[in-house]
Amino acid sequence: MSIEVGHASFLRRIAIMVGAGFVPGMNSVVMGAALAAGKLGWEMVGIRDGFDGLLHPDRYPDGGLVPLSPQMAENLDPAAGGILGQSARVDPFHVRTVNADDMVEEVDMSDELLKRLQAERIDALIAVVGGRGMSIFHKLHRKGLNAVCIPRSIENDIAATAVSFGFNSALSFTIEMLDRVRQAAQSARKIAVVEVLGEQAGWLALQAGIAVCADAVLIPEIPPDLEMVAARMEEKVTPRRPYGVVVVAEGVKLSDGMQAQAKESSLKASLSPLATGGASEHVIQKSGQAAESVATRLQLLIAQETFPMVLGPWVRGGVPTAVDRQLGLGYGAGAIRAVRAGKYGVMMAFVPPDINFVPLVEAINKVRTVPANSEFMQIARSLGICLGREI
Amino acid sequence: MKSQSGNPGGPTGIVLNIQRYCSHDGPGIRTTVFLKGCSLRCKWCGNPESIRPKPEMSYDPRKCTGKKACGVCLKSPFPEGAFYVVEGGADDKVKVNWDLATNCDQALCSLCPTGALEMYGKSMTVDEVLDEVEKDSSFYRNTGGGMTISGGEVMLQPDFAAALLKGAHERGFNTAVETACNAPWSFLEKVLPHVDTMPHDHKLTIPERHKKWTGVSNERILANFKRAYETFPDIDFIARTPLIPGVNADEEHIRAVLAFIRPYKNVIDYELLPYHRFGLAKYEYLGKVYELDDYKTPSEEVVAHLQAIIDEAFGRTSSDKK
Repeated sequence: MSIEVGHASFLRRIAIMVGAGFVPGMNSVVMGAALAAGKLGWEMVGIRDGFDGLLHPDRYPDGGLVPLSPQMAENLDPAAGGILGQSARVDPFHVRTVNADDMVEEVDMSDELLKRLQAERIDALIAVVGGRGMSIFHKLHRKGLNAVCIPRSIENDIAATAVSFGFNSALSFTIEMLDRVRQAAQSARKIAVVEVLGEQAGWLALQAGIAVCADAVLIPEIPPDLEMVAARMEEKVTPRRPYGVVVVAEGVKLSDGMQAQAKESSLKASLSPLATGGASEHVIQKSGQAAESVATRLQLLIAQETFPMVLGPWVRGGVPTAVDRQLGLGYGAGAIRAVRAGKYGVMMAFVPPDINFVPLVEAINKVRTVPANSEFMQIARSLGICLGREI
Repeated sequence: MKSQSGNPGGPTGIVLNIQRYCSHDGPGIRTTVFLKGCSLRCKWCGNPESIRPKPEMSYDPRKCTGKKACGVCLKSPFPEGAFYVVEGGADDKVKVNWDLATNCDQALCSLCPTGALEMYGKSMTVDEVLDEVEKDSSFYRNTGGGMTISGGEVMLQPDFAAALLKGAHERGFNTAVETACNAPWSFLEKVLPHVDTMPHDHKLTIPERHKKWTGVSNERILANFKRAYETFPDIDFIARTPLIPGVNADEEHIRAVLAFIRPYKNVIDYELLPYHRFGLAKYEYLGKVYELDDYKTPSEEVVAHLQAIIDEAFGRTSSDKK
């Protein structure tokens, strides 16, 4: 699989694939890469549904690889869904299969994948992936794959880049929905507690919360003191303004054991060895649980009624914003630049004003959290938005 | 017992856990031996640590004291990049990169001073397991209990399971096997001659639906059930359904199972196991995703209604059941 670094003329065939997890505007990345490759006279192909098009070509009567000529690429609709499709799982080290004995098992198909890429004469692979995908491609790169990754994250939590592809579209839609929620809360004269995506980082909650001037924003980086939040809400919600909006990131850490505990049962002992009940006490994982927990607790602390709402996966669909369309094209074209420079095992990174590439190890095992001294935190405080705890 | 494998303790198997004082896996007070490895991928699985056939690492974040207080796993000999801490996160507890932590074994886990890292599963000989089971033999004698083997899928370790059951009989214990029977018949026929009671799962009756929820069709499973009922008339078979609203908690499924089992007199009961979420934390400990996140336990009314259909089919009244 190895190629001579720096001698771009040896490269002729580049593949692009999309990892698990949808974000709007995937076509713009494909378009950027295909147009840039075409300009160099290189051939570009897309792998359908993650790695499925390559590992299971029998499932695709028209072939598991999609030719991506410049002519085809420039006619792609950047506003439509991705032409390459997606797979729920993109991990060639653990591919779920049914064996000849009709038994389900997970098998390592990474060697098979590299062989197929070689058989298809693919010199380098561009992958649009999230944080977990980076680790998988890091492993594949160590096995000899010429990989270039493009960061894709709704939560903007991938390290080493200022903005991941997909975040801006999600932010825009979240703001639109929060505007609507505000009207609903106003009409109902209640406090809306809205859960948005953000398991480890609170960028989406914080930036959207600022945009709509929410009353409070609770993010994973700041374990909230709900009594303090309640006191602030009491100040803000008045007879003249009898409503409020609290934005909660789904990964907010509530340290006072608010999660409902599963009932003990005699079945527990015999049916489930080592069973311990729900998820860890400090981590809320289930979609909607953060909003419900915060809404319930706040209601016990203040006079006003609260109601929980969950935006959750709604923000994964829709039309990409202008920013994401530009970013997608830029990342796609940038990935071809990395291949041309012979830089593999790298991730494209937007470090304003430049799009560069950084080694994958700079993105792995790191989460781009909101720093305590972040400009956004300061803006939020200046606007009087409660962030759950004084720091 | 003479070794079948040259090992003086008998064949070895991968055992997940030995659980004492169980009362739902066969008659009386029992000790349940959970084996590792499963050939289905039921989306509601409450024992995700039993799926992989080999021992595997788990991480309980509640036990981790964090980088500042400990940080042992962040250094050699632990694999580079396998563990990390989120800078700027709410705490300094360690997180696991499950894609890079694939080679962590018992020796490494034992270095974790807080027990946050543990191995699920270990290799044991037949005698080691039976000696553990024997510790509660007085309970078995008094209650008619014994040893149950569960999983995972017991039939995936047929030689080990058969030797365990045979050894249990030789020590005078009643034996039971909990199984879904998704294995070749050649595996089953090694195990079944040593079984007294066999609770077995009728998860879904329609093949396509079975495939959707468990990963494979149920045609071979049903053929195995039928053949087992017919070949082993002395086994007490107990049909079971893990009852999940929106999946199989409906009359259609219950009546289809009853139609399948009632012609066989050695299928002595049909039990409902209402869906529970006790295994949820273990998904987190193993870095796995629980796919049935939004499912709830069935209501008491639904369970009672379906139970009444079963009782009627078995000619029981509710007072008989009590």
